[in-house]
Amino acid sequence: MIVNFWGQEFKINIVIGCIGGFLIAIISSMFGFGGGPFMVPLMTVALGLPMYIVVGSSLLAIFFNTLMGTMRHFQFGNFDLLFFLIMFPAAILGGYIAPKIAQRVSPTTVKRVAVAGLLILALNLLGVY
Amino acid sequence: MNALKKTLIIGVLVLLTFSTAMAQEEAPAISLNLDKTVLNNGGDIIVSGKAPAGKPVFIEVWAEQKVKASRFDSDPDKETGKRPYILYLTEAMPAYYKIFMPKDRQPAIDAAKNEGKKWSFSKTLKETGADAAYSAPGMIAIDRCQASLMGSIIGSRGDMLCPMDASENKKSSMQLVKARFRSPEKIMGADVDMSPDGTFTAHIKIRKGLAPGKYMVAARVDKDIKSRVASFENTIKLPNIYLSNAGTSLNLLGPFFLTLAVSIFGVLMGAGGGFILNPLLLSIWPLPHTIVAGTVMPTVLFSQGSGIYNYSKIKFIHWKLGISIGLAMLAGSFIGPKLTELITLDQFKFVFGWILIVLAALMFWQTTPGYLEKNKKEQAILKEFKKKAEEAAKTKACS
Repeated sequence: MIVNFWGQEFKINIVIGCIGGFLIAIISSMFGFGGGPFMVPLMTVALGLPMYIVVGSSLLAIFFNTLMGTMRHFQFGNFDLLFFLIMFPAAILGGYIAPKIAQRVSPTTVKRVAVAGLLILALNLLGVY
Repeated sequence: MNALKKTLIIGVLVLLTFSTAMAQEEAPAISLNLDKTVLNNGGDIIVSGKAPAGKPVFIEVWAEQKVKASRFDSDPDKETGKRPYILYLTEAMPAYYKIFMPKDRQPAIDAAKNEGKKWSFSKTLKETGADAAYSAPGMIAIDRCQASLMGSIIGSRGDMLCPMDASENKKSSMQLVKARFRSPEKIMGADVDMSPDGTFTAHIKIRKGLAPGKYMVAARVDKDIKSRVASFENTIKLPNIYLSNAGTSLNLLGPFFLTLAVSIFGVLMGAGGGFILNPLLLSIWPLPHTIVAGTVMPTVLFSQGSGIYNYSKIKFIHWKLGISIGLAMLAGSFIGPKLTELITLDQFKFVFGWILIVLAALMFWQTTPGYLEKNKKEQAILKEFKKKAEEAAKTKACS
């Protein structure tokens, strides 16, 4: 597939993109997270697209994933409305507060903290401690 | 006339037998008293009574509220070695169930605890003699579905199998009780104090975070000798609320502030909050992983939707690319949620742990100098494009 974006042309292998997207969607809907952090590397590294195409387009692809995943979880009765009503406003509020803090912190520092935090959480889940 | 007399006599006889039978039912062999009728988000309750001397007394406590429970049986059969792949599913599991035993049964419960995740509820019940008293969840309606690979691919639970007979049902209800409540000390307690004359008392602790509503209490020494069913009320007041699908009561401020903190951090690190939120929710509260996965997922729908809208306004979405991969993802997410209920919480945590390690590696890669250098260039291009796009949108709006 040829991607035309703002006057630039990129040739990509859409089959790899679709297989990757399919697998990421299974895992992410099974475990209930958005697949963003996995989709971005897929599209930048495996498909060789630049970041500025990937940010918006990956969001669109993930939206399909979230929508279907939500419907299926709901269908199987794995959805608690009251629980959702507690978390939903908090998620939206977080989305408004975060950009105000974002200007004051370096993204690299946040990511380094995140790496440490994710590893601690992972070891906890794996029952290491 | 004679015939009328005969029917009358038979009628009286039938009535007499019925009433004696009912009288026997009305006078239970075990007396039972509770010291309270109301608890507020758990607490202590003292159960006392008198049973026939010399027999062990088992007390069952269960909630009237129902929750879902499921178990996927993929363990090979002991004789044939074939894996059954059957999903057992019930909507009628009591939101709370615990069987209290005489104090000398403690070693058997400890033994189950020491067996770790592989402990067997039915084995422990047999060892303690409590299997004769186990009754409240024994009759719940359980559906069985035969899962197949093809079924999983098209996202169906599989073919419904015919209902089980009473003893099979009882056996799989024990496995479902274990699947739902997981640890031995949650469903068994050696708290019943027995005296040689048959009187007994039990200090029962109802933990916090359980379902509100009516709780039933009944004592038994075996299948036939039992007490009346007594009950008490467990109330849950704000800010504690009961999540009926999850079967857990919690302080609503907890998940609210956790979600707020995680979503802020998520935006800052450029990854959705679900990665951190899911495992944290699971380790802080006793929630089923299916509910957590299914409820966290839709919380990001809104922010994703508004993100797409904002990018589309400045023409920063390649629709063909996004929709092509999106359709592949649509197929994937049709399958995923079904798989969630086929795995146990421990398997969920294990796989999630490895996912987080991969994510941490990706994050680390994004902080390496080479990546940062490349990213800097692309961010500059992105900024320039955005500026152009905004200007274009503006001139279009004015013309």
